[in-house]
Amino acid sequence: MSGGDDAGPVLEVRDLQAHFRSHYFGVNREVRAVDGVTFAVNRNEIYGLAGESSSGKTTLVKTIAGLLKPPLEMVGGSARFSFLPGWDAIGRAPPDVVRAIRWRHLSYIMQGSMNVLNPLRRVRHSFRDFAWRHLGGSKAEFDARAEAHLERVKLDPSVLAAYPHELSGGMRQRVTIALATICKPDFIIADEPTTALDVVVQKDVLAMIRAIQCEMGSSVLFITHDMGVHAALTDRLGIMYAGRLVEDGETPEIFSRPLHPYTRHLIASLPRIGDTQQREGLEGTPPNLAAPPPGCRFHPRCPLAMPICATTVPAMIETLPGHRVACHAVNEGAAA
Amino acid sequence: MLAILRDLIRYNLEFRIGLVLVGIVAMMAALSLVSLYPAGDVYVVPPDLPPSTAYWLGTTSRGQDVFWQLTAAIRNTLFFGIMVAALSRVIALVVGLLAGYCGGWIDRVLMSINDTFIIIPLFPILILFYFVLRDSMSTPLLATIMACLGWAYDARLIRSVALSLKTREFTQTSIFSGMKTHEILAREHLPYVLPIVFSTTMNNMNWSIGIEVTLAVLGFTDINTPTIGGMIYWANQHTALVAGIWWWIAFPVALVVMTFVGLFLLAVSMNEYIDPRSRLARMGGSR
Amino acid sequence: MSALLELDRVSKSFSRGGLFSTRRVEAVKEVSFALAADKPEIFTVIGESGSGKSTLARMILGIHAPSSGLIRLGGRDVAAYERRAFMAEVQPIFQNPFEAFNPLKQLDRYLFMTAERFGGAAGKSAVEEPVDEALRQVGLSLPEIAGRFPHELSGGQLQRVAIARALVAKPRLIVADEPVSMVDASLRMSIVNLFGRLRDELGLSIVYITHDLATAYYISDRLIIMQKGVVVEQGPARAVLSAPTHPYSRQLRDAVLTPDSAGAFRATHPRKAVETSGDRS
Repeated sequence: MSGGDDAGPVLEVRDLQAHFRSHYFGVNREVRAVDGVTFAVNRNEIYGLAGESSSGKTTLVKTIAGLLKPPLEMVGGSARFSFLPGWDAIGRAPPDVVRAIRWRHLSYIMQGSMNVLNPLRRVRHSFRDFAWRHLGGSKAEFDARAEAHLERVKLDPSVLAAYPHELSGGMRQRVTIALATICKPDFIIADEPTTALDVVVQKDVLAMIRAIQCEMGSSVLFITHDMGVHAALTDRLGIMYAGRLVEDGETPEIFSRPLHPYTRHLIASLPRIGDTQQREGLEGTPPNLAAPPPGCRFHPRCPLAMPICATTVPAMIETLPGHRVACHAVNEGAAA
Repeated sequence: MLAILRDLIRYNLEFRIGLVLVGIVAMMAALSLVSLYPAGDVYVVPPDLPPSTAYWLGTTSRGQDVFWQLTAAIRNTLFFGIMVAALSRVIALVVGLLAGYCGGWIDRVLMSINDTFIIIPLFPILILFYFVLRDSMSTPLLATIMACLGWAYDARLIRSVALSLKTREFTQTSIFSGMKTHEILAREHLPYVLPIVFSTTMNNMNWSIGIEVTLAVLGFTDINTPTIGGMIYWANQHTALVAGIWWWIAFPVALVVMTFVGLFLLAVSMNEYIDPRSRLARMGGSR
Repeated sequence: MSALLELDRVSKSFSRGGLFSTRRVEAVKEVSFALAADKPEIFTVIGESGSGKSTLARMILGIHAPSSGLIRLGGRDVAAYERRAFMAEVQPIFQNPFEAFNPLKQLDRYLFMTAERFGGAAGKSAVEEPVDEALRQVGLSLPEIAGRFPHELSGGQLQRVAIARALVAKPRLIVADEPVSMVDASLRMSIVNLFGRLRDELGLSIVYITHDLATAYYISDRLIIMQKGVVVEQGPARAVLSAPTHPYSRQLRDAVLTPDSAGAFRATHPRKAVETSGDRS
């Protein structure tokens, strides 16, 4: 993803750690949901994050977006945005700085669109609540702008006058996407935005996200557990397992040449229409993050596990150009 | 059970304070058993004496020792509150869980009864009962009447939780495991409603003690049984405040406030402990 | 040849709204199909949200009664069954394994309860044997599960326990409503394969409700595709999904994203606007 005016990545995450800490009547628990994640998102690309439930992907993006509420705490590392120089994470910047960049520079698309749209207010009011402050101008100017933007996401301007419950699930998700993009933010975080949608609607919404991203040149951090969606939409892809990034690289490269045994399994286990080949599930259980296995967290389930895997955490190494993987077996083989 | 008590004492300040307050109140009530004077007797000590070393909380114009009178009064008042709360909780639980789980005509019938009780004007009914029953009106009877009038709001609350529990998948798993309706209600759904029961118990005791005091102050109860309200009734009859016998009113009021605050703190802290979310978090199952 | 399960023009409508503005919503319209008793199969019902597939599942399970039409189990109207006797023949598996068991209760009590109430077993040891046997059929064992709470197990394991619980009752038919949609991808295929084994080794028939065309293609023998309560296409699973004829089936099939659909929305160059083929709205 190289462009002439690109001066470094928009988001640079370094060794980020976020833990859940809770104290209930003497039972202290610390869940290391994100444990040392490093990656970068460039200007004008869609970076995908894949992972299963409790892999920490949602915790990771919450930490990046500064949505830290107890018991979630950012413990170490940094997540720098190019539009927020001087702070090494949004969660560490003062509230007025954060308010100034939200929606304008950074926006968030969530899974449940109903959580964003106030059910008692017309869509028009939600638009005003969120974006008027940032865009300025008179009320009429703003409404005209909102209508123009809705046309861009192929929605009729009449939805502005509707209440959220009058719209279908797909329409509502389009409205939230329109809300998240009206200020032309530099960076959009999308957390499972299509998971609740039917496949036919999902396809349209994904196409829309891509179209609007291209038009604005924004960067998108796109989270979903659905590998099919990643294959179709994202430019680069990071695979998370048990709170750590285990592999990242260009999406086509990951699908055509997956290196980490977990990634390989994820891709190989997907059934396809027209293919009757036997597919197997992975043995074992995802680790308990309150007491994760030492060394590589995947080693108890890994077909390639070696003694070193149980003791030493594998480093993320750029094994192939632009393709990093954290696996002793793969990186040793590449070195030999 | 002991471990729960230990955890609560060790980690929860509200529980500790509540325990001390309720402990003092309970001790007062227990002392009534070793009272120096029979609670119903009058003119056993010199009247109108201020607090002193001989009579710790003074004496009343009726020649009773305020301290010993108070022990009997708080015992009866507590007993009354607990009885109303326990009885009305049972009714609220049964009605709420059944209506929410069974739905259909059972729900409609139970809820129309429920709504009737919600809109009945409480005070006129109680006074009516007093005039009809007169001398046969006793504390247990009044408690039963109050319990019958005091469950309706909470039954609605419990029903709303039961309605959502009914739609959860584990309810279907229980049905298809062959559990009977009462087993599902008692074993599967009850743990989720208990926090409501605990917090409403507190409210309900406050409410019933408050009503009892009000009725007693107005003289609409069996005034020969000493209660906190009964003490204030007699103090008013003797215009204690005008006569400057402040200790006759101040100590009963202070004790009943202590009861309220103590029970409230206990309920709040126990609620936090018993809440399914906090229970799950302690078990390590919060998601 | 008698039918194990037979649906004869089954419809279900719900009334919505208040006293004066009641309107009927038809969730399922005239659905008919039959499962043979002597030929166990995985019969898939495909549909999206609002297609009526879950309502159909709940009618087969006897949780809802159909508004019209008949559902017969072994030739007898489902409504005529004594509830307990019916549950000994038909058992459910639900969508969310984390919700299938009360989070505050130990898992094994559901298994023991099922063995007691449907297996006629009494006493601790008599109950343990069928439970252990059922758990072994799904790749677990009683010592692994005994005394455990739901949160101590993964979604895949919980779904196995849910299947084992259904097996304890020794049913002839299992109705599985979206059983893998909440299970992690790495564990999903072991559950799907397990359904295949139950059919092949135990001779169980399974009604598999799903929105996922790929697993339907992978595991099922026959299928129906539902749209807004109506069956739009039916037939052998692989034939239908390889060459769907109804426009809706085709639309569904084309919307499935797999690793092979790589780059469906990827721009040739990100700066240029892309032609979005999927956008027809």
